[in-house]
Amino acid sequence: MSAPLYHLRGLEVGYGEASALIVPELSIARGSILGLVGHNGSGKSTLLKLLGFLLAPRAGELFFDGRLVDAAALRAGHVLRRRAVLLGQDTCLLKRSVAANVAYGLRLRGQPYTQEAAPQEILAGALGLVGLDFAEFGARSWRELSGGEARRVALAARLVLQPEALLLDEPTTGLDRASVGHVQQAVLAARETRGATLVIASHDVDWLKSCADQVLLMDEGRITGVL
Amino acid sequence: MDYFSEGLTQAVALLLALDPETFSAVWTTAIVTALALIASLVMGLPLGFALGHFRFPGRRGARLFVDWMLSLPTVVIGLIVYALLTSRGPLGEWGLLFSVPGMAFGLTLLGLPIVVSMTATAVESTDTRLTQTLLSLGADRWQLLLATLIEARFAMALAAATAFGRIVSEIGIAMMVGGNIKWHTRTITTAIALETGKGEFATGIALGIVLMLVALVVNLLVGLLRGRSNGTGGVSGGGGA
Repeated sequence: MSAPLYHLRGLEVGYGEASALIVPELSIARGSILGLVGHNGSGKSTLLKLLGFLLAPRAGELFFDGRLVDAAALRAGHVLRRRAVLLGQDTCLLKRSVAANVAYGLRLRGQPYTQEAAPQEILAGALGLVGLDFAEFGARSWRELSGGEARRVALAARLVLQPEALLLDEPTTGLDRASVGHVQQAVLAARETRGATLVIASHDVDWLKSCADQVLLMDEGRITGVL
Repeated sequence: MDYFSEGLTQAVALLLALDPETFSAVWTTAIVTALALIASLVMGLPLGFALGHFRFPGRRGARLFVDWMLSLPTVVIGLIVYALLTSRGPLGEWGLLFSVPGMAFGLTLLGLPIVVSMTATAVESTDTRLTQTLLSLGADRWQLLLATLIEARFAMALAAATAFGRIVSEIGIAMMVGGNIKWHTRTITTAIALETGKGEFATGIALGIVLMLVALVVNLLVGLLRGRSNGTGGVSGGGGA
């Protein structure tokens, strides 16, 4: 069995004096799907931000791909964040077209994909995964999208990056039934075709139980059980 | 009413005849406003960005200072600049009092806090969600800075338009620092005050028409930019994702 992609030990995240997350021990196997369920404020989003290197732990150790993520590693956090991509609840679209939004992460990585020069099939493929037609949506402005469409574009913008770890915070919330189906299929395809490690926080327990290798129950910043 | 319509007719005639005295004031206003606006933007945009984006000791104090500068009466700014530029003042040897550069210096003190404050607010309001988004997409520190700047572009243009509107219509600083010297430092606003005092309503109205047209264009521009900068941070309908 290969080494886990993530390993957390004695880990604590806090805001001020309060602890938002306490994880004594957690391993996430490479290529696995980990589901997180729990009430609002149970610590799911905090755990995802930690795994996405957007938060620094107050105490404990976080290993990624076998290496300790210390303060020095977090200072160059973009290197890690290009391998583990988060789709958070507070993510937004840039004031650009749909195609430019999907291509944006590739541009940040120095890949010469601009709205004009992007190989259309790459962007079309990513949009197609979330059920959006490139010909219809590619040139649309971010202003012209519904909330559900914007969420799917944001997911496409992360799928196109083909990260090693894809961290999804409530990816299907607020979507209609058809859109939920597209998102769920796209997420699973990321693992099936690319071997991505997925960590998904959702209130859709049935979906998580059907697709995840493990579903953890969280409450008050702690992992309280396994479903 | 005849009095007013007569003045209006004469004003239009002055404008159509390209009256040299009227257009001297317009030209001086354009030069002074351009200089002050450029100086305000060159200094204000980076300062506002730094104030809105970075967290550093004394940031709250700096913000309070900028907000305080915003609320200073222009006559007080004029007084301070006069004291600085007068021959006995610390900058007296520069010989800027009653000159176009001197007026531009004073008006920069009016425009600068507007640009700094509005830029800082624009950057602050884009930061939370935009920063998370850019970081999660893999932006490094410089890419984050650049992208935040680009995303706040309409709001910063709005700051520039607002500062322009304040500078072009200002009278206290222009009067005190410029001295309202004919053919030299007389601007639209100081000329209106002077001509009206002399009973020369036609010239006053002619200059007023120019100023109102400028104000109209600026307001249209501000309205357009405000519409474009709505939803700062690029939050799409329904909350993005």
